[in-house]
Amino acid sequence: MYRRSLLSLQSATLRLDTWINRVLPQDFNPLYYTGGLANLFLTLLVVSGILIFLYYEPSLEGAYASVEFLTRDVPYGVVFRGIHRYAADAYLVAILLHLFRNWFTDRYREARDSQWLSGMFLLVVSGFAGFTGYLLVWDERSQLLASLTVQALRSVPLVGDWLARVFLGGPGVNDTTLPRFLFLHVGPAMTLYVLLWWHYVRLRHPKIWPPSVWVLFSLGLLFILASALPATSGRPAQPGASPEGFAVDWFFLWPYVLARWMAPGWALALVVALVASGMVVPYTLRETPEQRGVRALGQAVVVEENCTGCELCYYDCPYNAIYMVPSPYPGKSRAAANRKLLAVVVDSRCVECGICIGACPFEALELPRMLDKDVQQRIQRGARATAPVSS
Amino acid sequence: MATVPDRTPQAQEGAPRVVGFLCDWAVRSEGLLNADDTLVGMPHVTVIRVPCSGFVKPGWLELALRSGAAGAFVCGCPMGDCLNREGNWIMEDRIDQLRKRLSRQKVDPERVAFFAFGLHEREAFLRAVAEFVDRVRGSGGKR
Repeated sequence: MYRRSLLSLQSATLRLDTWINRVLPQDFNPLYYTGGLANLFLTLLVVSGILIFLYYEPSLEGAYASVEFLTRDVPYGVVFRGIHRYAADAYLVAILLHLFRNWFTDRYREARDSQWLSGMFLLVVSGFAGFTGYLLVWDERSQLLASLTVQALRSVPLVGDWLARVFLGGPGVNDTTLPRFLFLHVGPAMTLYVLLWWHYVRLRHPKIWPPSVWVLFSLGLLFILASALPATSGRPAQPGASPEGFAVDWFFLWPYVLARWMAPGWALALVVALVASGMVVPYTLRETPEQRGVRALGQAVVVEENCTGCELCYYDCPYNAIYMVPSPYPGKSRAAANRKLLAVVVDSRCVECGICIGACPFEALELPRMLDKDVQQRIQRGARATAPVSS
Repeated sequence: MATVPDRTPQAQEGAPRVVGFLCDWAVRSEGLLNADDTLVGMPHVTVIRVPCSGFVKPGWLELALRSGAAGAFVCGCPMGDCLNREGNWIMEDRIDQLRKRLSRQKVDPERVAFFAFGLHEREAFLRAVAEFVDRVRGSGGKR
């Protein structure tokens, strides 16, 4: 059932691509660059965030006023604030697209599970940083979100009160609360870069930037949005006020939207359950290659006697599955006689794609079940097949 | 595998032999190939399915030309959508280099080609192959 729906989702995803490719050139299809777009928006967030940070005052009395000062009196402050706000939305949309696309097009399991796991962590940390960003304005909306969060944390068994205390920096909102929120916003944002290292470490040439057309388009769109629909604050937070409800960006604050109908603790439990089930997604389908409808050709094997240590396979392997090690002894073929290095395939990373075989001009790599000599035979048979007998 | 490929009535008289490589993840291959690995409706085009377009050695395309094929092509996924992220870009580069090498050897570089078609683009793929066959028809493939 799950497998079938994934297959039809894959088909639908690729159908969508076909339509987009009719309008745009293939290499400008934005859906091929969701990761790069997310990275672009993250960069914009960091840059605009630093500019906002210069003016922000993390104190109960000063926070709201400093944000208002930035918006009203600082030249282009309203634009920076707007870019920070809309880039955050765009960033979340881009990483969600990235998640679903890679899930539906079967790019999340086996050798690629570490990208999926790091991606889940990136999603959680990004969502958390987005949420704490809302708190920093310290208007009524911030107050409502903070109080819902405290309620949710308090309902955690055993450690609930302690968690709420850690979140607020005391039994209730106090002078240390906003500096703490500021750290909870900036700290996770920096953590993202550590997680991105994990996200990229097994990839050679990760596509971390979209084509420049999309960079310019996104920048322009953000500038227009930030100027046309300036980001605004609600009324300032008042001690003892109990704000009712606000329009929020439901796609990443949905747990708080849910908290309207269920106890905040349950909304938190739901988030935890979703993240936990997201973590096991790469391991849920244990399929044989036949069930997956792919041919298992075996992991790439280095033919030691022919390897010249030229590193071409090492540069082309998209998953960093080939390492060059000092050659313990010379190869047998003439080209390999003076080699200094030897290619080694890391089995746990090899996806059997055969890109290294195409890279190797020395016949030093083979996929065990699709040997070079067999392919050559098939080529010759195809090229020489006798013409139709017409006489 | 039969030694004498079966001939379908559609076999075009004098059509040039072409050898192609098709990525498993690109055009859906169900019902695309005859039992002898030739394209349905184009018995002069032999298609070898590969796990990724990047698997193809440029030497294999040269071998096809040397062995008497009029043309050789590789079809991968749409650019930017390679399952293995890089295979089709790498293959496109390799074919560019192969074309330079061929023209130095006084061989028409148009006899090798790279296509990029996704799962649902069978018709476009078949059209592209048919056009390619027409293009190489006059290019002096030995038969």
